[in-house]
Amino acid sequence: MFRRKLLSLDFTNPNKFNYSDESQYRNLIIWIEDQKIRHYKIDDRKELRDICSGEWQKSFKKYLDDLECPHDPTNRTATLDWLLGYAVRLEYGDKVNDPDFKAGVTSLASLLQIPPHADHLTQLKAICILVKERLSKDALDKLKKEGIKHAESVSLDRVELGFETSDYITTEAAKILRMLHIKELRDLQNSANQAIVLVQQVTANPKTDTKLGKVGRS
Amino acid sequence: MSRKLHKDEEKSVRAKDAKTNTKKKTAKGISDLKSKSDDSRKILHFSPEPGRLQYQALYYADTNDGVPPQTMNIDTTTWRMSVSKVEQTNTGTPLFKIPVSIVTPRKGEAGDVKSAKLCRGFSLTIQTKLHSRLGLEKAASFKMGRTYNEELKYLEKVSANSWKIKKGFVPNMKVEGEFYVNDHLERLMFDELKQACRSGGYGGFLPGMKQIGNVAALPGIVHKSIGLPDVHSGYGFAIGNMAAFDMDDPEAVVSPGGVGFDINCGVRLLRTNLFEKDVLPIKEQLAQSMFDHIPVGVGSKGIIPMGSRDLEEALEMGMDWSLREGYIWAEDKEHCEEYGRMLQADPSKVSMRAKKRGLPQLGTLGAGNHYAEIQVVDEIFDTFAARKMGIEEKGQVCVMIHCGSRGLGHQVATDALVAMEKAMKRDKIEVNDRQLACARINSQEGQDYLKSMAGAANYAWVNRSSMTFLCRQSFAKMFNSTPDDLDMHVIYDVSHNIAKVEEHFVGGKQRTLLVHRKGSTRAFPPHHPLIPVDYQLTGQPVLIGGTMGTCSYVLTGTDRGMEETFGSTCHGAGRALSRAKSRRNLDYMDVLKALEDQGISIRVASPKLVMEEAPESYKNVTDVVNTCHDAGISKKCIKLRPIAVIKG
Repeated sequence: MFRRKLLSLDFTNPNKFNYSDESQYRNLIIWIEDQKIRHYKIDDRKELRDICSGEWQKSFKKYLDDLECPHDPTNRTATLDWLLGYAVRLEYGDKVNDPDFKAGVTSLASLLQIPPHADHLTQLKAICILVKERLSKDALDKLKKEGIKHAESVSLDRVELGFETSDYITTEAAKILRMLHIKELRDLQNSANQAIVLVQQVTANPKTDTKLGKVGRS
Repeated sequence: MSRKLHKDEEKSVRAKDAKTNTKKKTAKGISDLKSKSDDSRKILHFSPEPGRLQYQALYYADTNDGVPPQTMNIDTTTWRMSVSKVEQTNTGTPLFKIPVSIVTPRKGEAGDVKSAKLCRGFSLTIQTKLHSRLGLEKAASFKMGRTYNEELKYLEKVSANSWKIKKGFVPNMKVEGEFYVNDHLERLMFDELKQACRSGGYGGFLPGMKQIGNVAALPGIVHKSIGLPDVHSGYGFAIGNMAAFDMDDPEAVVSPGGVGFDINCGVRLLRTNLFEKDVLPIKEQLAQSMFDHIPVGVGSKGIIPMGSRDLEEALEMGMDWSLREGYIWAEDKEHCEEYGRMLQADPSKVSMRAKKRGLPQLGTLGAGNHYAEIQVVDEIFDTFAARKMGIEEKGQVCVMIHCGSRGLGHQVATDALVAMEKAMKRDKIEVNDRQLACARINSQEGQDYLKSMAGAANYAWVNRSSMTFLCRQSFAKMFNSTPDDLDMHVIYDVSHNIAKVEEHFVGGKQRTLLVHRKGSTRAFPPHHPLIPVDYQLTGQPVLIGGTMGTCSYVLTGTDRGMEETFGSTCHGAGRALSRAKSRRNLDYMDVLKALEDQGISIRVASPKLVMEEAPESYKNVTDVVNTCHDAGISKKCIKLRPIAVIKG
């Protein structure tokens, strides 16, 4: 876990890092602040550096608040992931226009079969969405839960637009809008279903005793 | 020569000796008719000599209607008369001249015409009293209808799978009719018409084609009166008939006959993640368990406890009631036509009598053609659409529930028919068939019916929901699992006996219509706003229940169907033999044996009624479905085959 992010930050021995080891964890935090984030002045890092102090948790919490981290320190994986992500952003944020970076985005896009786009940042956004919705742990778990073996993709050729346009490009664009609309509808329906389930927990009252089930004509 | 004049259902019929100068007499005949329309004592007299006698009958028909009967011939053995030539005598007067020739049946017999009336199926009946040589009297009646070949002139094949019924096939047709068939179903339809022509319409039954025509004559109808491939004779409307009425036309009507007695009779399909091999070893136990859980049979009572207050709420709320009480899942509502609730329902418009009948029956399957079946996927025609429905492979197990609104719906329809007969007299609504009782949509009677019908529809959804609950319980127990883990989701729930307000394009313009679907299933195309989000790309799933022991199908809606049939398709097999005929011709033991031989477990509450539902009594469902597919009004997706049947 965190191997790739640590690697990209040039952390020594990322393979051996064990985040559940308290001392390793605290050391990593201070390493990130010292080397990458540098949110505090060197003098202000004193309390955070005192990893043996009983007050460390408190200082850490304050540090996270100062960084406006949305996670609670008790959720260690989420917090660390966020911190590492923040560090990566600071480290590489000004390099987004490097030719290397652009080339990286392009090769990633072709790997994931995402159509090319003139603006590599937009392209990167598309890659993010795809990874988040198709390849992330959450997405895969969800598929598993729903008993779907593999996420299906729908070819636009397979989709009927339902009305006619003057040219191919407009048709394709309209189809894409259709698909986005359907996705939004699905989300809306999911929220509606969730709301119904919540209400059901209050109102449901199945009094039926199916053991009483009797054959007709009785 | 004496004449006879009779008035029936606002239409006058006149028979007159035509031996005399026809042309001259015609003009006089009309004036006679006008001046002496109350003169009904004059009777037509038969010559005692055998031979040909010429008569002329005059009767009213709507001139806007096009062409009335063409020719009239006499069949001496059956005493049937038919019209030989028709001239429109006066364009301003709705009157036609029909020369009639009658051959007296036997030497020495003479007859007096007692009455004549224009009756169902556009035929003219003349009642006579005959005097035989021995002085004995016997009654006989003549029926003047068109011959089969004359009827055929009103029918035109417009495509490989459809026929047009032209105006004039029955009186007053406002729009044309159309019906969908393949070669085999075509033969059945035309045989039915031929038989009706031969019998002169006796026996009170009208062939499906005539019923489609009569519906086309109802006020306010738009587009066409459409017969789906499973069309067969029903009460007023044929079963398998779709007709839409313009909500903005003050004359437009709603007709309970266009919905049927079993309001919101429909089909629901549940999927499971089980396969045939999982079910086969315990098939008998599973069938028994389902049979024990689901109350079946004519007099069966529900096991989901209901008070009269619950019933009121169920009538108003439909599936929302089942949801509130926790019997079903939130996703069930999503995958149901109208989301399982018609909002215009008003329980106060449902009579006490209907409620009394409905209360003990809620959550019961009933008898007749209703059933619950365990089915397996036999063939997948459209893998993309099937996957959207959660059907991945052949052999996957599904549960189909086919039921309706039981006695409550029947009573709602009956009550409405009574009320509407009065309304028809008051509003002077003319129909070709008394069974087509109807009322203007905006009249009190029309609104009351729509509100009570919606209540009955809600009842039917609660009914299917309760049965869904019971099926899930039964499966969960048998497989020691939970319905959730068995993935027992509702694929879809369709209504095939209902009238609904919908938006459609008529001649390029959007119109609000009241669409009657009787024995016809809604089949909306992809991207229609009223179908669930999961089916936006595939089109609405259409569930076609087979008959006991035959296959069932899942179809999807198409754009073509939306245009041609206002998004409607067939509903099932459709009867080929009447119930009575089935009882006479088939033995229930044979029927049960045949099912057993096919490896289908069967549990029936009333085995003696089984032969009414035998596959032999129905049109072949595969023919019906293929016709819809070939005509393009819906598309084949999945074929299912039963392995266990639970029946009333």
